[in-house]
Amino acid sequence: MADAALPFKLITPTGVVFDGAVAEVTAVNPLGEFGVLPQHINYLTSLVPCVVAVKLEDSSYRLFVVSGGLAEVKDGVMTVLASTAEPAETLSDGEALSKGVVAAEEQLHNLSFYEPGYPSALKAVQLARARQRAREARSAAR
Amino acid sequence: MATLKAIRRRITSVKSTQQVTRAMKLVSAAKLRRAQDALLNDRPYAESLSKLAGSLLAGQTMEPPPGAQHAGLITVITSDRGLCGGYNANLLRHAEEQADGMRKEGIEPVFFAVGRKAVEHFKRTGGRMVGQRINNTPRLATLELATSLADMMLNEFRAGQYQQTAVIYSQFRSALSQRPTYERILPVEAGTQTAEGVAGPSEYLIEPSRAELLPVIIQSYVESAVFHALLEAEASEHAARMTAMDSASNNAADMIARLTLEMNRARQAGITRELMDIVGGAEALSA
Repeated sequence: MADAALPFKLITPTGVVFDGAVAEVTAVNPLGEFGVLPQHINYLTSLVPCVVAVKLEDSSYRLFVVSGGLAEVKDGVMTVLASTAEPAETLSDGEALSKGVVAAEEQLHNLSFYEPGYPSALKAVQLARARQRAREARSAAR
Repeated sequence: MATLKAIRRRITSVKSTQQVTRAMKLVSAAKLRRAQDALLNDRPYAESLSKLAGSLLAGQTMEPPPGAQHAGLITVITSDRGLCGGYNANLLRHAEEQADGMRKEGIEPVFFAVGRKAVEHFKRTGGRMVGQRINNTPRLATLELATSLADMMLNEFRAGQYQQTAVIYSQFRSALSQRPTYERILPVEAGTQTAEGVAGPSEYLIEPSRAELLPVIIQSYVESAVFHALLEAEASEHAARMTAMDSASNNAADMIARLTLEMNRARQAGITRELMDIVGGAEALSA
């Protein structure tokens, strides 16, 4: 069944961002990057802030920056529930993004691991880096 | 009878009030439409998430930590501004009723007030308020607010401050009907989410592990529930204001009609009086 496609949905509280049949989806969970191909086993994982790369059936990519969430594959259908998802096309220019990374890293630096703000600061860094990565991937594709 | 001049002045004043209420009605109608759209957009997310949470939490009960204080947190979501009919009064009455119910069960109700109206109410009544939030942003239902409320609830619940946490918000049923609703957020009730045909947790390959995933799901679930409550509240507020302003505009129109009638009568009375004077004077001359 080489022509089977993976039905994929990217849903946020503000709406369905992507809904369609795709060839592959890659994202990052706490253990590292993972990819989902059609006919994947039922699967449940959480996502760290990352780039969700969606490979369409014509082998082109669509990139989304998500701020963490959950990913589920059930009966061959993949659903990503993210708190926010920004398509790579809407990201601001590279300079602002690298400034964002620096600012987030600085905040993280000033916190110790045991402080209550640490997890959210870490997330902010991951999110800023993911934005930068998506932006770089987008300009590379041009 | 009021003088002609006084009536004219009142008509002008009612007319300008009517202009304000009409404008507010239009603004609320536009905001309501936006809020309703947001409510619809949230639905797929909320449904998928509760299915997911239901399948993972199936058969599990979440208990408050041992030794938790006998207190319950009620987050009351009202509006910052008035002129929306009985919207806030209904919500606050419902909140007090729920608080009384809690007291009967031996749980001390503690309030978190969202919206200026709730803050003012609990300051006046002396209800124990642990926190308040006055929004000052054009939108009430923001993810940022939902996340901070959810974090607060989860952290304090886990720390054993409360037996339970809940939100009171106005459920948006239609533009004409909003109902104050009490919804328990924590402990998460697994029973209510298990629907027919939901896959059990064993049917999934779970990474990193079930134990690590559970807090993430609960966090998302609580955030989503709070966000949903905010969305409902926002739509309800605009709907309530729209209805209130609509009837205010109608009342103003009625009042203008009545005053106009009165004004015409007063004017006619004045004319008649003058005529009588003239006729009386002429008769006196000719006599």
